[in-house]
Amino acid sequence: MYGGGGQYDGGGGQYDGNGGAASANNLFGGGGFMPSQTTNTPEGGGGGGGFNKGRGSQTLMPLTVKQLMDASQTNDDKSSFAVNGWEVSTVRLVGRMLNKNERVTDVTFVLDDGTGRIEVNRWENETSDTEEMKLVNDGDYVIVNGGLKGFQGKRHVVAYSVRLVTNYNDITHHFLYCIYVHLDLAKAKRLASQPQANASTSTWNQAPLLNNQSASGNTAGKELTDLVMSVFHDPVLGNMEHGVSVDEVASRLKLSDAVARSTVQHLADIGNLYPTIDDNHFKSALNG
Amino acid sequence: MDTSVPSPFVNGETLKMFVGRRVRTVVQVQRNESGVLVVQSTDGHQLTIRGAPGAPEAPHYIEVMGIPDSDQSIRAESWTDFGENFDPVPFNGLCKLASDKYKYLFL
Repeated sequence: MYGGGGQYDGGGGQYDGNGGAASANNLFGGGGFMPSQTTNTPEGGGGGGGFNKGRGSQTLMPLTVKQLMDASQTNDDKSSFAVNGWEVSTVRLVGRMLNKNERVTDVTFVLDDGTGRIEVNRWENETSDTEEMKLVNDGDYVIVNGGLKGFQGKRHVVAYSVRLVTNYNDITHHFLYCIYVHLDLAKAKRLASQPQANASTSTWNQAPLLNNQSASGNTAGKELTDLVMSVFHDPVLGNMEHGVSVDEVASRLKLSDAVARSTVQHLADIGNLYPTIDDNHFKSALNG
Repeated sequence: MDTSVPSPFVNGETLKMFVGRRVRTVVQVQRNESGVLVVQSTDGHQLTIRGAPGAPEAPHYIEVMGIPDSDQSIRAESWTDFGENFDPVPFNGLCKLASDKYKYLFL
């Protein structure tokens, strides 16, 4: 449905941002971040330096206008921003279009999403751009994807995509997604700053982050969830049509039925597993 | 439409917190009594909406932006037809989260 693959995808464990969309921020190469020279207090572990970058600068992040306005700046020339300590460049906003102004080479408008207003600019380089902008008008609900820019202290968005909302559930989804991403990043930041000598936690690949989501973040809980997930990822068991039963997990790992069941249930609650034929059989949502 | 202040998402329950302040909510049209819309909020409260001419018939959902003049009625400034396929359950959850725990992301 979406042309670019640049979707923030917490469920798939990949913050793989760059779907080839012509983000204006690619011009900077995600730069503007000088690790050892920021005046902000560096986080322990993580990618080093004041702000977590990882692959985050290419990630499409859903935000409210209020979050955008509250975002801190990562360097002195005020050209890049960070939300929750994570550098952001490409954002998604959903709101109402106001004051659409068609100029010669671009279209400007104000986006009002109920949490604030921000100016948006959409350059029109090709006819596809012009055609796209003809479809949206004042008062319409639109989805805006673009780069966050600051200029002379004022923030605005340079959009590379402006689409009409056709399913209004998308609006609810966007705001819930903003909350989810906010929580996910806050948790990632907390985990990254904990001194965990954990071989599977690499900051490059964010996928293991999901395995860290045990209730209290302690290493014992994490190892248990890792073990259980490894049963589901076993090449023979994982490919069985109905998945793996809780009993199988318990007997393989020499766990009590209660422990196996509660771990499996926890993993199902956070979305790593899903039930198949009944409440006893699960498959992993992560592989394949 | 002059919305110079943020307008929070509300449902029937949280509406009372914002009487006199511009809000936005999605409600389901039940009937139209000579210009006054009788609607149901996403959490089952019955509300009245004044000033929304041309609003669609039941069972369409509409988003209403306006100022509540009591905890059960809103004076609408504008409305948008959200169709019939709008799911009230996640919207209701959003209202609760946005007015309480995650208010700082929205207001």
